[in-house]
Amino acid sequence: MMEELSLHLLDIAMNSLAAGARCIQIAVLESQRRDRLILRVRDDGRGMDAATLQKVLNGATTTKASRRKKIGLGLALLRQTCEMCDGRLRVWSRPGRGTSVTASMRLSHVDRPPLGDLTATIEALCAASPDVDVQLRYHSDEGKFCFSSQELRQQKG
Amino acid sequence: MNLEELKKLKEKAQRQVALREGNKKYRVVVSMGTSGIAAGARDVMKTMLDEIEKRGLDDVEVRVTGEHGLEDVEPVIRIEEAGGEETTYARLDAEKAKKIVAEHLGKGKKVENLAVGKQKKTD
Repeated sequence: MMEELSLHLLDIAMNSLAAGARCIQIAVLESQRRDRLILRVRDDGRGMDAATLQKVLNGATTTKASRRKKIGLGLALLRQTCEMCDGRLRVWSRPGRGTSVTASMRLSHVDRPPLGDLTATIEALCAASPDVDVQLRYHSDEGKFCFSSQELRQQKG
Repeated sequence: MNLEELKKLKEKAQRQVALREGNKKYRVVVSMGTSGIAAGARDVMKTMLDEIEKRGLDDVEVRVTGEHGLEDVEPVIRIEEAGGEETTYARLDAEKAKKIVAEHLGKGKKVENLAVGKQKKTD
Protein backbone atom coordinates (compact mmCIF):
# COMPACT_ATOMS: atom_id res chain seq x y z
CA MET A 1 0.00 0.00 0.00
CA MET A 2 1.06 3.55 -0.61
CA GLU A 3 0.98 5.63 2.53
CA GLU A 4 1.10 8.99 0.79
CA LEU A 5 -0.87 10.32 -2.15
CA SER A 6 2.30 11.97 -3.44
CA LEU A 7 3.76 8.47 -3.83
CA HIS A 8 0.81 7.59 -6.07
CA LEU A 9 1.58 10.70 -8.12
CA LEU A 10 5.16 9.49 -8.53
CA ASP A 11 3.95 6.01 -9.47
CA ILE A 12 1.62 7.39 -12.16
CA ALA A 13 4.31 9.74 -13.46
CA MET A 14 6.73 6.80 -13.74
CA ASN A 15 4.16 5.21 -16.04
CA SER A 16 4.18 8.42 -18.07
CA LEU A 17 7.97 8.24 -18.41
CA ALA A 18 7.71 4.59 -19.45
CA ALA A 19 5.19 5.69 -22.09
CA GLY A 20 7.75 8.08 -23.55
CA ALA A 21 6.16 11.31 -22.34
CA ARG A 22 8.00 14.57 -23.08
CA CYS A 23 5.76 16.58 -20.79
CA ILE A 24 4.12 15.51 -17.53
CA GLN A 25 1.63 17.88 -15.94
CA ILE A 26 0.78 17.21 -12.31
CA ALA A 27 -2.03 19.16 -10.66
CA VAL A 28 -3.04 19.12 -7.01
CA LEU A 29 -6.23 21.00 -6.17
CA GLU A 30 -7.01 21.17 -2.49
CA SER A 31 -10.15 22.99 -1.33
CA GLN A 32 -11.32 23.01 2.26
CA ARG A 33 -14.24 25.17 1.26
CA ARG A 34 -15.51 22.53 -1.12
CA ASP A 35 -14.08 19.69 0.97
CA ARG A 36 -12.39 18.22 -2.10
CA LEU A 37 -8.97 16.98 -3.08
CA ILE A 38 -8.25 16.44 -6.76
CA LEU A 39 -5.04 14.98 -8.16
CA ARG A 40 -4.32 14.86 -11.86
CA VAL A 41 -1.44 13.55 -13.96
CA ARG A 42 -1.57 14.29 -17.66
CA ASP A 43 1.07 13.20 -20.14
CA ASP A 44 1.79 13.24 -23.86
CA GLY A 45 3.06 9.67 -23.93
CA ARG A 46 1.93 6.91 -26.24
CA GLY A 47 -1.39 6.29 -24.48
CA MET A 48 -3.46 3.11 -24.26
CA ASP A 49 -6.31 1.50 -26.12
CA ALA A 50 -9.64 0.78 -24.38
CA ALA A 51 -8.87 -2.87 -23.64
CA THR A 52 -5.54 -2.08 -22.00
CA LEU A 53 -7.14 0.69 -20.00
CA GLN A 54 -9.76 -1.68 -18.61
CA LYS A 55 -7.05 -4.07 -17.48
CA VAL A 56 -5.13 -1.28 -15.82
CA LEU A 57 -8.13 -0.07 -13.87
CA ASN A 58 -9.03 -3.52 -12.67
CA GLY A 59 -5.48 -4.42 -11.75
CA ALA A 60 -6.10 -7.58 -13.72
CA THR A 61 -2.49 -7.93 -14.77
CA THR A 62 0.45 -8.61 -12.51
CA THR A 63 3.36 -6.22 -12.52
CA LYS A 64 5.68 -9.07 -13.32
CA ALA A 65 4.11 -10.37 -16.51
CA SER A 66 3.79 -6.85 -17.79
CA ARG A 67 7.07 -5.31 -16.81
CA ARG A 68 7.62 -3.87 -20.25
CA LYS A 69 4.14 -2.47 -20.57
CA LYS A 70 2.37 0.41 -19.02
CA ILE A 71 0.42 -1.75 -16.63
CA GLY A 72 0.63 -2.34 -12.92
CA LEU A 73 -1.31 -2.45 -9.73
CA GLY A 74 -0.74 1.20 -8.94
CA LEU A 75 -3.88 2.62 -10.50
CA ALA A 76 -6.08 -0.14 -9.14
CA LEU A 77 -4.83 0.67 -5.64
CA LEU A 78 -5.45 4.37 -6.12
CA ARG A 79 -8.94 3.67 -7.41
CA GLN A 80 -9.69 1.73 -4.25
CA THR A 81 -8.49 4.64 -2.12
CA CYS A 82 -10.59 7.16 -4.07
CA GLU A 83 -13.74 5.11 -3.78
CA MET A 84 -13.17 4.56 -0.08
CA CYS A 85 -12.91 8.33 0.36
CA ASP A 86 -16.14 9.35 -1.42
CA GLY A 87 -14.40 10.08 -4.69
CA ARG A 88 -13.43 8.31 -7.86
CA LEU A 89 -10.66 7.65 -10.31
CA ARG A 90 -11.04 8.58 -13.94
CA VAL A 91 -8.57 7.73 -16.67
CA TRP A 92 -8.68 9.12 -20.17
CA SER A 93 -6.33 7.65 -22.75
CA ARG A 94 -6.02 7.29 -26.51
CA PRO A 95 -3.24 5.57 -28.42
CA GLY A 96 -0.80 8.22 -29.60
CA ARG A 97 -2.50 10.99 -27.66
CA GLY A 98 -1.39 10.52 -24.09
CA THR A 99 -3.07 9.67 -20.83
CA SER A 100 -4.82 11.68 -18.17
CA VAL A 101 -5.47 10.29 -14.70
CA THR A 102 -7.76 12.19 -12.33
CA ALA A 103 -8.31 11.12 -8.73
CA SER A 104 -10.83 12.83 -6.48
CA MET A 105 -11.48 12.41 -2.78
CA ARG A 106 -13.33 14.06 0.08
CA LEU A 107 -10.63 16.14 1.75
CA SER A 108 -11.94 15.56 5.28
CA HIS A 109 -12.58 11.84 4.86
CA VAL A 110 -11.11 9.96 7.80
CA ASP A 111 -9.49 7.35 5.54
CA ARG A 112 -7.93 9.82 3.14
CA PRO A 113 -4.14 9.30 3.08
CA PRO A 114 -2.01 12.40 3.60
CA LEU A 115 -0.67 14.15 0.52
CA GLY A 116 2.81 13.65 1.99
CA ASP A 117 6.04 14.96 0.56
CA LEU A 118 4.98 16.38 -2.80
CA THR A 119 8.30 18.19 -3.07
CA ALA A 120 10.23 14.91 -2.88
CA THR A 121 8.06 13.47 -5.65
CA ILE A 122 8.75 16.40 -7.97
CA GLU A 123 12.47 16.42 -7.13
CA ALA A 124 12.75 12.72 -7.89
CA LEU A 125 11.00 13.18 -11.24
CA CYS A 126 13.11 16.16 -12.24
CA ALA A 127 16.36 14.38 -11.42
CA ALA A 128 15.19 11.18 -13.08
CA SER A 129 14.33 12.76 -16.41
CA PRO A 130 16.20 15.97 -17.15
CA ASP A 131 14.86 16.13 -20.71
CA VAL A 132 11.21 15.82 -19.77
CA ASP A 133 9.22 18.86 -18.75
CA VAL A 134 7.85 18.09 -15.29
CA GLN A 135 5.16 20.59 -14.38
CA LEU A 136 3.35 21.06 -11.09
CA ARG A 137 0.29 23.18 -10.47
CA TYR A 138 -0.86 23.38 -6.87
CA HIS A 139 -4.04 25.20 -5.87
CA SER A 140 -5.47 25.65 -2.42
CA ASP A 141 -7.88 28.14 -0.86
CA GLU A 142 -4.81 30.20 0.12
CA GLY A 143 -3.25 30.51 -3.30
CA LYS A 144 -1.49 28.73 -6.08
CA PHE A 145 1.97 27.64 -7.14
CA CYS A 146 3.30 26.67 -10.56
CA PHE A 147 6.53 24.92 -11.42
CA SER A 148 8.09 23.75 -14.67
CA SER A 149 11.45 21.99 -14.83
CA GLN A 150 12.15 23.09 -18.42
CA GLU A 151 11.48 26.70 -17.54
CA LEU A 152 14.19 26.39 -14.90
CA ARG A 153 16.59 24.96 -17.44
CA GLN A 154 15.91 27.78 -19.87
CA GLN A 155 16.52 30.38 -17.18
CA LYS A 156 19.78 28.63 -16.52
CA GLY A 157 20.69 29.24 -20.19
CA MET B 1 1.30 20.97 2.06
CA ASN B 2 2.09 24.64 2.15
CA LEU B 3 3.20 27.14 -0.43
CA GLU B 4 6.48 28.00 1.32
CA GLU B 5 7.73 24.43 0.98
CA LEU B 6 6.92 24.51 -2.70
CA LYS B 7 8.78 27.75 -3.24
CA LYS B 8 11.93 26.12 -1.87
CA LEU B 9 11.45 23.41 -4.47
CA LYS B 10 12.27 25.87 -7.26
CA GLU B 11 15.54 26.95 -5.71
CA LYS B 12 16.53 23.39 -5.04
CA ALA B 13 15.65 22.12 -8.50
CA GLN B 14 17.69 24.98 -9.93
CA ARG B 15 20.78 23.91 -7.99
CA GLN B 16 20.29 20.33 -9.06
CA VAL B 17 20.03 21.31 -12.71
CA ALA B 18 23.53 22.76 -12.34
CA LEU B 19 24.78 19.42 -10.96
CA ARG B 20 23.47 17.54 -13.97
CA GLU B 21 25.54 18.93 -16.80
CA GLY B 22 28.25 16.93 -18.55
CA ASN B 23 29.53 13.37 -18.43
CA LYS B 24 29.69 11.80 -15.02
CA LYS B 25 31.92 9.24 -13.40
CA TYR B 26 29.05 7.66 -11.49
CA ARG B 27 25.49 6.97 -12.54
CA VAL B 28 23.10 5.96 -9.77
CA VAL B 29 19.95 4.19 -10.99
CA VAL B 30 17.09 3.95 -8.50
CA SER B 31 14.44 1.28 -8.97
CA MET B 32 11.24 3.32 -8.99
CA GLY B 33 8.48 0.93 -10.03
CA THR B 34 5.31 0.56 -7.96
CA SER B 35 6.90 -1.92 -5.57
CA GLY B 36 10.04 0.19 -5.19
CA ILE B 37 8.00 3.30 -4.44
CA ALA B 38 5.87 1.43 -1.92
CA ALA B 39 9.04 0.16 -0.21
CA GLY B 40 10.53 3.65 0.16
CA ALA B 41 12.54 4.26 -3.03
CA ARG B 42 11.49 7.89 -3.28
CA ASP B 43 12.91 8.76 0.11
CA VAL B 44 16.11 6.87 -0.63
CA MET B 45 16.44 8.92 -3.81
CA LYS B 46 15.70 12.18 -2.03
CA THR B 47 18.31 11.40 0.63
CA MET B 48 20.89 10.62 -2.05
CA LEU B 49 20.17 13.81 -3.99
CA ASP B 50 20.43 15.85 -0.78
CA GLU B 51 23.69 14.20 0.29
CA ILE B 52 25.22 14.47 -3.17
CA GLU B 53 24.42 18.17 -3.19
CA LYS B 54 25.62 18.69 0.38
CA ARG B 55 28.95 17.05 -0.37
CA GLY B 56 29.30 18.85 -3.68
CA LEU B 57 29.77 15.58 -5.61
CA ASP B 58 29.42 16.90 -9.13
CA ASP B 59 30.61 13.70 -10.82
CA VAL B 60 27.38 11.82 -10.09
CA GLU B 61 24.07 11.63 -11.91
CA VAL B 62 20.93 10.02 -10.52
CA ARG B 63 18.32 8.34 -12.71
CA VAL B 64 15.38 5.97 -12.27
CA THR B 65 14.21 2.75 -13.83
CA GLY B 66 11.08 0.61 -13.63
CA GLU B 67 11.36 -2.76 -11.93
CA HIS B 68 14.72 -4.44 -11.45
CA GLY B 69 13.16 -7.85 -10.97
CA LEU B 70 14.28 -7.61 -7.34
CA GLU B 71 10.90 -6.82 -5.78
CA ASP B 72 11.65 -8.73 -2.58
CA VAL B 73 14.67 -6.68 -1.62
CA GLU B 74 13.55 -3.16 -2.44
CA PRO B 75 14.45 -0.31 -2.24
CA VAL B 76 17.22 -1.12 -4.72
CA ILE B 77 19.81 1.04 -6.47
CA ARG B 78 22.53 0.26 -8.97
CA ILE B 79 25.71 2.26 -9.27
CA GLU B 80 27.34 2.24 -12.69
CA GLU B 81 30.85 3.55 -13.06
CA ALA B 82 32.41 5.10 -16.11
CA GLY B 83 34.80 2.10 -16.33
CA GLY B 84 31.88 -0.32 -16.67
CA GLU B 85 31.80 -1.60 -13.11
CA GLU B 86 28.35 -2.07 -11.58
CA THR B 87 27.26 -2.52 -7.98
CA THR B 88 23.74 -3.26 -6.76
CA TYR B 89 22.63 -2.25 -3.28
CA ALA B 90 19.42 -3.59 -1.76
CA ARG B 91 17.09 -3.22 1.22
CA LEU B 92 18.02 0.42 1.57
CA ASP B 93 16.79 3.19 3.82
CA ALA B 94 17.85 6.79 4.31
CA GLU B 95 20.75 5.94 6.65
CA LYS B 96 22.20 3.32 4.33
CA ALA B 97 21.77 5.67 1.38
CA LYS B 98 23.80 8.33 3.19
CA LYS B 99 26.53 5.82 3.86
CA ILE B 100 26.67 4.80 0.20
CA VAL B 101 26.98 8.42 -0.89
CA ALA B 102 29.75 9.08 1.62
CA GLU B 103 31.75 5.90 0.95
CA HIS B 104 31.10 4.75 -2.60
CA LEU B 105 30.41 8.05 -4.36
CA GLY B 106 32.53 10.19 -2.05
CA LYS B 107 35.61 8.01 -1.54
CA GLY B 108 35.23 5.38 -4.27
CA LYS B 109 34.96 2.60 -1.66
CA LYS B 110 32.24 0.01 -2.12
CA VAL B 111 30.00 -0.65 0.90
CA GLU B 112 30.39 -4.41 0.80
CA ASN B 113 27.89 -5.30 3.50
CA LEU B 114 25.07 -3.55 1.64
CA ALA B 115 25.95 -4.81 -1.85
CA VAL B 116 24.16 -7.82 -3.30
CA GLY B 117 24.59 -10.37 -6.07
CA LYS B 118 27.37 -10.77 -8.54
CA GLN B 119 29.43 -7.72 -9.14
CA LYS B 120 31.52 -7.07 -12.17
CA LYS B 121 34.99 -6.60 -10.80
CA THR B 122 37.85 -5.07 -12.63
CA ASP B 123 40.51 -6.02 -10.08
